[in-house]
Amino acid sequence: MTRKKTLLMAALAAAALIVIYLFLVNHAPIKLRRLALTGVMLGCIYGLIALGYSLIYKASGLMSFVQGDIMTIGAFLGLTFFTFFRGLFGTGEEGESNVGTFILSVLLTTAFAFLFGILLEKGTIRKLLNKNVMAIYVVLATIAISYIIQNGAQIIWGGIPLPVPSVFTVLFVQVIGVRIQPEMVLCVILSAGCMIMLHFFMTRTRMGTSLRAAAMDAKAAEACGIDVSLSTGLTWGMAAGLAAIAGILVGPIYGVYTMLGANIGRKGFSAAVIGGYGNMYGAMLGGIILGLAETFVAGYASSTLKNLIAYILLIAFLFIKPTGIFNERAIQDV
Amino acid sequence: MRLPIPERGGRGNAVAVMAALAAALLLPAALTFFFGNDYPVFICCFILIYIVAVSGLDIVFGYSGQISLGHAAFYAMGAYGSGLLVNFLDFPIIPAMLAASILAAAIGALLAWPASKLVFHFLSLSTIAFGEIVYQIITHSPGKITGDFIGLRSEFVNLFGYLLDRPGKFYYLALALTALFLLAKTYIVDSKVGRAFLAIRENTHAADGMGINVRKYKIVAFTISAFYTSFAGAMYMHMVGYASPDTALQKQSVLFLTMLLFGGTGTLLGPIFGVVTVMLLVEALRDFQDYQVFIYGILMLIVIVALPGGLYGACKDVFHRLADKPGAMGGEETGDAA
Repeated sequence: MTRKKTLLMAALAAAALIVIYLFLVNHAPIKLRRLALTGVMLGCIYGLIALGYSLIYKASGLMSFVQGDIMTIGAFLGLTFFTFFRGLFGTGEEGESNVGTFILSVLLTTAFAFLFGILLEKGTIRKLLNKNVMAIYVVLATIAISYIIQNGAQIIWGGIPLPVPSVFTVLFVQVIGVRIQPEMVLCVILSAGCMIMLHFFMTRTRMGTSLRAAAMDAKAAEACGIDVSLSTGLTWGMAAGLAAIAGILVGPIYGVYTMLGANIGRKGFSAAVIGGYGNMYGAMLGGIILGLAETFVAGYASSTLKNLIAYILLIAFLFIKPTGIFNERAIQDV
Repeated sequence: MRLPIPERGGRGNAVAVMAALAAALLLPAALTFFFGNDYPVFICCFILIYIVAVSGLDIVFGYSGQISLGHAAFYAMGAYGSGLLVNFLDFPIIPAMLAASILAAAIGALLAWPASKLVFHFLSLSTIAFGEIVYQIITHSPGKITGDFIGLRSEFVNLFGYLLDRPGKFYYLALALTALFLLAKTYIVDSKVGRAFLAIRENTHAADGMGINVRKYKIVAFTISAFYTSFAGAMYMHMVGYASPDTALQKQSVLFLTMLLFGGTGTLLGPIFGVVTVMLLVEALRDFQDYQVFIYGILMLIVIVALPGGLYGACKDVFHRLADKPGAMGGEETGDAA
């Protein structure tokens, strides 16, 4: 994307945001505002997961079913670190601020997930690809790993949802006239931060450029002296890190349980396809569209339809516009 | 990795087939005699039903190389469809089973039609989505006709006035139907259609270049496969007399896939091997039910990493090595050495 186009899009997005803001604050009923906020928050989570799918697809041409379960692990690990550090640094009083410890746990969890992602790629995926196994089998291997993690998490942490202690001193904040949990705001800010950092990392740094080159044409990149094996591993690591961040961010909002990631991970595919599978920006946009669609359907139609809408959108996009909003090709066969 | 090209399954080997059939006929009596109850026979019935379902999955995955992660949806559609036809429209059971499977296969064709242009990753996504939609519809049906989360009760098979209400009685019907389905499978994969499936699996573009209508045959494979699996679902419904919405869960699809991969894809005997081993393993590990999904995962991973031809492929490999006949086997190392 050229600089001019980027600027234009940013300006358009800003204009759209201002219009939406004015409309929401001044005219919209409170229910609509609340749903919109929840939708954007949920959308950021889907977006982070879908971002991982897109990165992996770009780097290895594969679909990974492990993302959702890394998210679960991230949520559990995050909770474990958070409780540990709270006990270590905090006074344990009711209503104290834990922002510092929370950020620390986010960083640690992300680092762990990053390592896990690299290990996953180096230990399993790369090994299978080197054996010239059909791509279907590699995807099936990720499904197998996902089941192992899912059941493993259940064995370690049990089947009961665990609550996460609140991060902030206040219970509510006022955003566009709606009282919401401050953790939701944190979730949106951190996801947006990740997205922006990823954008600059991919487009402005040497490392990011070589990652994109390796994804575009592995052989040519190798010929230019790029370590393709390393960059593929890093990409899987980044995808895992993003999933773990998504997990630790939803923890304080929904609680932490073993099927958390499995459901969100499956719906994340929908977000990725809506935006255009393999497109970073599409993933985030698709996530927000999906999040908004889900909350609005839940708010104005029924909760049954809420569980269906992600899959209906997924099938509709696959059949009618498989290249998604950002027109990312490479989905169609003969 | 290349999957083994299927041999002419069992047709040249009439003696072995007869022996297997005789053993299968005597099995319930022997099991009841040894265990004193008909629970083992019940498991045998399940094995037969799963053989039909997994053979169906094999047609789409093993032979034509497309991946479906939503076959449980067809299984559940067969079960619920047949049950609903019997309960509400007073269909006789066997026609109801057939009608439900044909209906499910038609829905499968409708799904496969637009899906056939997708590469396998995305085909698997659309099957996952389809499975989730079927599960949601079953658990939130209009007017609660499917019994939502409770499940649906239906009748046992009544064959010419003879009620098959015990596993020991149902077993023989299931055996006959399974034999019929397996026979049909050998004919399908040996025909022009079957060869088209193989060509698509090996190389879509080459198949297209040879004049095979890739999209048409992909749809055909998916439809046949859906028919097999939904018929298995209908058999399950009228064997147990009850179907729960759990049959539509993704876990069930993964169970089918585990059985198929574990047994070996693209063969007649592979699904049989896989179903029998996995069912016996699951039964043996019944005390560790919390770890069941964990075990499926480990089994799948073992097969993918170490036994690409599945159990059947490995057995054949060992057999050939003992008989000192190089070539004609699924393993890759031997292929390289030859």
